[in-house]
Amino acid sequence: MKINKYLELHKRGILSLLLLGAFLLSLTYIPWSSDLIHAGGRSTINEVIRSFFNPDLSPHLLRIGFIASWQTLAYAVASIALALIIAIFLGVLSSGVLFESVFIKTFCRGLLGFMRAIHELIWAWLFVAAIGLSPLAAMFALAIPYGGILGRIFSDLMQDVETPQILALKTSGASPMQQLFYGYFPASFANMLSYTMYRLECAVRSSSILSFVGLGGLGFQIQISLSDLKYNEVWTFLFFLVILVVLIDIWSNLLRRRLSQ
Amino acid sequence: MRKKIDIIKFSVYLLTFLIIASWLYIFVVDEADLFKLFSAKNATYTKKFLSGLLGIGEEVPGFIDRDLWKNAIEMSFETFIMSIIAIGIASIGMLLTVIFASKNIANGELTLQKKWYNYPLYYVSQGLYIFSRSVPELLWAMIIVFILKPGILPGALALGIHNFGILGKLCSEVIEDMRYDSIMNLSSCGASKTQLFLYGVIPTVMKRFLTYILYRWEVIIRTSIVVGFVGAGGLGQDFRLAMSFFKYSEITLYLICYMLLVYLTDIISNFSRKFIE
Repeated sequence: MKINKYLELHKRGILSLLLLGAFLLSLTYIPWSSDLIHAGGRSTINEVIRSFFNPDLSPHLLRIGFIASWQTLAYAVASIALALIIAIFLGVLSSGVLFESVFIKTFCRGLLGFMRAIHELIWAWLFVAAIGLSPLAAMFALAIPYGGILGRIFSDLMQDVETPQILALKTSGASPMQQLFYGYFPASFANMLSYTMYRLECAVRSSSILSFVGLGGLGFQIQISLSDLKYNEVWTFLFFLVILVVLIDIWSNLLRRRLSQ
Repeated sequence: MRKKIDIIKFSVYLLTFLIIASWLYIFVVDEADLFKLFSAKNATYTKKFLSGLLGIGEEVPGFIDRDLWKNAIEMSFETFIMSIIAIGIASIGMLLTVIFASKNIANGELTLQKKWYNYPLYYVSQGLYIFSRSVPELLWAMIIVFILKPGILPGALALGIHNFGILGKLCSEVIEDMRYDSIMNLSSCGASKTQLFLYGVIPTVMKRFLTYILYRWEVIIRTSIVVGFVGAGGLGQDFRLAMSFFKYSEITLYLICYMLLVYLTDIISNFSRKFIE
């Protein structure tokens, strides 16, 4: 009895201790020795840190940076547009707003879950193996998991709409389609937009990763500079990426603040 | 009310404009060809790939090979360890800096004390968060493998750095949004600054912190396979090797292990979340 009460009081502390224990235990798995660092690793660290403070800011490189940033943004936005189409379609079906059928609902839920369980880069690899290197394939690879996440959120948002408007629409005899367009969509639109903005920020990061499968942009430039061992160029492009993400972050923050008012 | 409509309208217009511009750019400037994707040549590749995944035409497909299973399970375990180290690095880094990174502590509202160094520390830690979370984990891993030898440590570091920024942002917002009731009570009873922190702040935010840590851990497991692509250990490394040797039936095996790992983490973290409810 006493133990139970103790457990009840200190649940969070116990979980934290367990997590800390797991972390410390995992650390012992790494063979700690000077072998972990490359032979030239130490001088590389120095060089990487030194070039952080004087990134290459020549006009030529800045021009490449701007173009690459636009490419990264363009592919992210285009993929988000594709993801939105998938998300709205599957989200509506899995929310059960249009069809009451349990089968369609569970099937679409499962499909969305499967789509987002696999990381975009793995989708991209699978596409590369299946249809070869192509920017369009990379975009589809990005759109699938993002469609899965957005679709899940959209269907949750639509299920949460239980406003008098819907009841009013129902009682006045609106068809499910009319309910969707005049009730569910307008009621959850603001939240959908805000979440899409948040995902856009993530998509920018992901699209810079997808340079691994032949997408141009910042990730591609960083890869080139890294293989040339030009760390000061790497930092320049990283700064571009940070600025791009921060700008989108500010935009979506502004939007969220207006919505919460 | 007027402004509320404005920013939403503005966002919709800007987003629509960006979408149109990006599609135009991709099709006109980058000359992407949608129809090339569906050519006959690609169809045969796809067929070859899919039948490879299913192990058709192989004597012993990778996903029923006993030795490969053993190796894959070992690698999954390594990936699991890597994710724990990564979330550990991220959480400890966050806990060390989150106190300085909250606005209500920087302006002395919460601790009722104002120090000259609060604001500089606030900007430095927020800057660190922004920088580390803006750069995706794969790029961090690419830089780190130049310094550390391949293994699970570089992967864990890369995942840890990226998630440190995200956790920092989420958790500093928790402190900024917390209710002051208990703090006020404590301070009116004459609690010192340390006591305020230990008995007021930590119990109030701990649950949210743990929830966020568990949530990020799930995300880390999903991305842990990706950092392996650049040689940072775990399942990803084998995945990439199998891909380059065209051993598609092994890919199926790794994908199965990956999905199992993701579901296992989801179960553990759901269980832990219910435990602290």
